[in-house]
Amino acid sequence: MINNANFDAPIADINRWRTLALGIGGVGSLVMLISFLLFEDQREDAMRAWLLGFIFWGGIGIGGLGVLLLQYLTGGAWGVVIRRIAEAASRTLPIIALLFVPLALGITNLYEWTHLIGTGDKVVDWRQPYLSVEWWIARAALYFILWGVMAYFLNKWSLRQDQTNDYATAVKLGEDSSKFSGPTMVFFVLVVSFAAVDWVMTLDPHWFSTIWGLLFAVGWALSFFCFAVALLAVLADKEPMNRILGSRHFHDIGKLMLALVMVWAYFNFSQFLIIWSGNLPEETRWYLPRMEGAWGVIGMLLIFFHFAFPFLVLLNRNLKRNGKWLAMVAIFILFLRLLDMFYLIGPSPRIAGHGAGFHLSWMDFVAPIAVGGIWLWYFFGQLIKRPLVPINDPFLENAIKHGKEH
Amino acid sequence: MTSMKKDIYGLLAEFDTPTELVDAANKVREAGYKKTDAFSPFPLHEIDEALGVKRTILPFMVFGGGVIGLLSGIGLQWFVHVWDYPILVGGRPYFSIVSFVPASFELTILLAAFTAVFGMIALNGLPQPYHPVFNVPRFALATREKFFLLIERKDEKFNYAETKSFMESLNPQEVFDVEE
Repeated sequence: MINNANFDAPIADINRWRTLALGIGGVGSLVMLISFLLFEDQREDAMRAWLLGFIFWGGIGIGGLGVLLLQYLTGGAWGVVIRRIAEAASRTLPIIALLFVPLALGITNLYEWTHLIGTGDKVVDWRQPYLSVEWWIARAALYFILWGVMAYFLNKWSLRQDQTNDYATAVKLGEDSSKFSGPTMVFFVLVVSFAAVDWVMTLDPHWFSTIWGLLFAVGWALSFFCFAVALLAVLADKEPMNRILGSRHFHDIGKLMLALVMVWAYFNFSQFLIIWSGNLPEETRWYLPRMEGAWGVIGMLLIFFHFAFPFLVLLNRNLKRNGKWLAMVAIFILFLRLLDMFYLIGPSPRIAGHGAGFHLSWMDFVAPIAVGGIWLWYFFGQLIKRPLVPINDPFLENAIKHGKEH
Repeated sequence: MTSMKKDIYGLLAEFDTPTELVDAANKVREAGYKKTDAFSPFPLHEIDEALGVKRTILPFMVFGGGVIGLLSGIGLQWFVHVWDYPILVGGRPYFSIVSFVPASFELTILLAAFTAVFGMIALNGLPQPYHPVFNVPRFALATREKFFLLIERKDEKFNYAETKSFMESLNPQEVFDVEE
């Protein structure tokens, strides 16, 4: 079923967005670099802000890889229309790795444990050599290599499917991708889990949570879906997506957003309930500062606006079927995703003493914008490289038809 | 023209293809008939729109069932742990909403699911051991290869002679009288 229709991305529009993103991202990154070098007393703030931006935007890219695996496993029309966005997100791994470099270089300004090694801190010493700078960096490299291998093969086969003229080959490439995605999904979640522990949980080296990795696997998938919905809603008015997208596609992705919002709340509550019931000082110490003052307010905001409000709103069928409304909810959730990451990172113990209470730096606003600009610039560059739908996918015609149905 | 039967339930038209059925259903709706039904061996998504079937209220019932489950879960635990027999556990407050969440959550799911299943059965008018359409012998084919369209006598616009000639104008294979 070879389609002769043109499904190329609207390159002129996307190139405009790219230039804008690069401009904002470049200026923002420069501001961050200069501030880091200039204000020596604010280096920890700068690194934390960069980590915040990195985890948020990198999470969209890595979440895209996870959703790419997921849609090969489940099938369905939503997977066909979202696949090229997920592929482009998975191909942003090189820029995510590059955005990670400042974290590795400035590691001693970011993680308290780098200063606790060999100081007689029993927990940190017991975790040697796992929790050492060398191993931390080596593991990060390994995570990027493993994700890179996953993204490489799926993107390669998908490109080959685009180029083939043979129906049987196209079918086989799709089947290969599905077979590859099954076992790979297991490793993907494991790698995400390790990365989330290394990058965020070790901010507080004395605390641990075993569900931590799943919070990120689910959160990043939700971030990606929200990002993809916002992008699809913009593209829906333009060629070629106006010929492809139907309200049922948004409906399907909206249902997945609803499910992920619920799973996010479920996992977070699981973690809280176990720690609250156990009531052990080594575990509750993580929640105690997060339940006081402004941090406590942010925690309540997350319960009401990262869970309750999107949950109730996304129950509505008509809203999910309207791309523009769904995109507004998606962008709202994205802001709450950022706030959630801030809530995980911000209250952690600081190298410069345990300054009690709420702390917000102006760089917490600049860094996510800077990282986002650069990531979006690279993402859009990847997006225009291929047609916006997999043109030789055997299910493409059905997937388009599906969108127009009830 | 046959004489008007008193004990008639409605008129049933038989079609060979789903397309004919949907076309006929559209005309029936446009003609103003409300108490209608269609029968097909497999689901036809277009038929709801063609017959002007309104969307089900089931989702709202399920939401209500969930809310009742949630409130009864919290209420039950409040009654047991705060009102009726308070026991101090680990120095925690009697009204510990955190520990109430799992049970309330489960009751929310339980009542929502019950409402969905039993509400669906009730809204479909099930169980229904007897339905007059089975008095037409050929109706058995509705599970195999034929498509049927029914207009009930209870419909305000129903007039035996007029309705029958109207249904015959829809090009069916045949129009049957359905006896009560």
